[in-house]
Amino acid sequence: MLDSLLSLGGLVLLRDSVEWEGRSLLKALVKKSALCGEQVHILGCEVSEEEFREGFDSDINNRLVYHDFFRDPLNWSKTEEALPGGPLGALRAICKRTDPGPVTIALDSLSWLLLHLPCTTVCQALHAVSHQDSCPGDSSPAGKVSVLGLLHEELHGPGPVGALSSLAQTEVTLGGTKGQASAHILCRRPRQRPTDQTQWFSILPDFSLDLQEGPSVESQPCSDPHIPPVDPTTHLTFNLQLSKKEREARDSLILPFQFSSEKQQALLRPRPGQATSHIFYEPDAYDDLDQEDPDDDLDI
Amino acid sequence: MAAVATCGSGAGSTGSAVATASKSNVTSFQRKGPRASGTNDSGPRLVSIAGTRPSVRNGQLLVSTGLPALDQLLGGGLAIGTVLLIEEDKYNIYSPLLFKCFLAEGIVNGHSLLVASAKEDPANILQDLPAPLLDDNSKKEFDEDVYNHKTPESNIKMKIAWRYQLLPKMEIGPVSSRFGHYYDASKRIPQELIEASNWHGFFLPEKISSTLKVEPCSLTPGYIKLLQFIQNIIYEEGFDGSNPQKKQRNVLRIGIQNLGSPLWGDDICCVENGSNSHSLTKFLYVLRGLLRTSLSACIITMPTHLIQNKAIIARVTNLSDIVIGLESFIGSERETNPLYKDYHGLIHIRQIPRLNNLICDESDVKDLAFKLKRKLFTIERLHLPPDLSDTVSRSSKQDLAGSTKRLGPGCGMMAGGKKHLDF
Repeated sequence: MLDSLLSLGGLVLLRDSVEWEGRSLLKALVKKSALCGEQVHILGCEVSEEEFREGFDSDINNRLVYHDFFRDPLNWSKTEEALPGGPLGALRAICKRTDPGPVTIALDSLSWLLLHLPCTTVCQALHAVSHQDSCPGDSSPAGKVSVLGLLHEELHGPGPVGALSSLAQTEVTLGGTKGQASAHILCRRPRQRPTDQTQWFSILPDFSLDLQEGPSVESQPCSDPHIPPVDPTTHLTFNLQLSKKEREARDSLILPFQFSSEKQQALLRPRPGQATSHIFYEPDAYDDLDQEDPDDDLDI
Repeated sequence: MAAVATCGSGAGSTGSAVATASKSNVTSFQRKGPRASGTNDSGPRLVSIAGTRPSVRNGQLLVSTGLPALDQLLGGGLAIGTVLLIEEDKYNIYSPLLFKCFLAEGIVNGHSLLVASAKEDPANILQDLPAPLLDDNSKKEFDEDVYNHKTPESNIKMKIAWRYQLLPKMEIGPVSSRFGHYYDASKRIPQELIEASNWHGFFLPEKISSTLKVEPCSLTPGYIKLLQFIQNIIYEEGFDGSNPQKKQRNVLRIGIQNLGSPLWGDDICCVENGSNSHSLTKFLYVLRGLLRTSLSACIITMPTHLIQNKAIIARVTNLSDIVIGLESFIGSERETNPLYKDYHGLIHIRQIPRLNNLICDESDVKDLAFKLKRKLFTIERLHLPPDLSDTVSRSSKQDLAGSTKRLGPGCGMMAGGKKHLDF
């Protein structure tokens, strides 16, 4: 499922940490979508353009459209090629002039945007970008926009991370054990239960994705061998378990206040107009069934 | 406290005695007028708006929330002029269903609608509403569902207390065709009903430009726009009595989706002590003032699990009238717990209002669970088996032995063992 992340569209959140970095997975996904023929835009804020393009071969590098916000983030040099509005303005501009065709936008990184801009602005911009194709009602794959955002989990508190994951269609959390990287993919489709899956993978030097099986499962650690489990039912003078024959005999026992099963079913079949239970009362000799009020003949 | 309670019940009984006496025309007591709500103009005219009915307990005018089971839990329905706040579940799957049932009920009854959202276009929300089940089919399908649910398990469990099988799982009052409908979650509402209805939509990205500067210590601009929009609609269409309505009086149902999320421009989900942390509470305060002076009822869904400052959740609860929390089992360890295997989540009724009353109208059932079957959304009492201590005997409950392992360290050692004691 890791290779079909971008086919769903919307916001894909890549959550990485210090031990398991996500930029190589981001570059692998960028390479995959470039090879599929989609338009790819990169908003580079955290690393320089040379460092990002490193490892890609030349035809992929020619297909990537790179918007550089690393060299001059605050636009001090005031050249014409600087895009107005900062990274979010560039994001909106990409969506406005998109030709029909699927577009992939890679944000490197969302953490940089969250640290420089208010969280609500980032959320609103991402929502506007990732949902712009759903306005006409039919989601034709021609105008599909996928946004890949790299988020460093340890830099933010639970607030921004929670807000972004509630907006994201897919959330990939990187982890792993013993040198083997894994991706926990949580996919939220609207009005359906979220599905999650764990996929083990590795990134080859040319940034292609290699899906793998997980590491071999270790044998379960056995219980503490020093203290053998004590079974208190071993030396009892009475029987605590029922054998199968005894259980059957107990089940077939007719209880004293129980009617036969036919009468029970007849009573239980819901009669029309009755949904409650009944009380059956037979008056005995001492009951007075006179309906008149005994206080009526009092002379007050 | 006890004296007050008897006083209250005494007043109720004399009221009903007056009512019955006036019906039989024996006494000289005449009823002055119908017990309508305070928002209607006073007078002996009986105001009857389609889809509303007066509450039998406190005389408020009630509208249905779209789920008859929920109406029963709230004491008959949602009172006009109040706010129903739904705390969303974690993945936001079930709270939109309650939201849409409320709006669909408005369309079926002919009420006006006002739908506000920052996430989805209101026109798309309206296309997605569930279809109402017609009267003759609905009772049959509902009874079928309930009956099918009961019989397979009851034969296993109830060997001694078999008469309890006749007790219904949840009391469902009589559903007349004019108040409270059942909705089929798998079908969409017919297009002609939507077109025949009078609705207003508020989609935040269209109404607000992105370069608006936020002033400190005031409401978020999104909230200001929404309040102005609601106020305009109420004023122009005469829900507050200012423009006398020439046609039949009607009720405005307001639905606000995902209030407090970052898409509304509010940062309470992102930071703990932001500069605008009072924005949401001020909004609710002004909204309640607008509702109390007009013939409208409001439903709000809020992602409270994302709000970072717990004090804000407490303030929001105090500022709303009815608060219901949805907790779904998806993704939590309760999903695999056999105790909860029939249900999709729990419903917590956190607050019920006391409207012109000293006591509130709570039902005696506090542990409730919901499930979304193929068509219907049902709310039922959660039947938990009694305490599984090590002296209790059950027949062949090996799966419950597994569940006792999950019951925490407070249980005895024997309950955690694999062997189960049979007597």
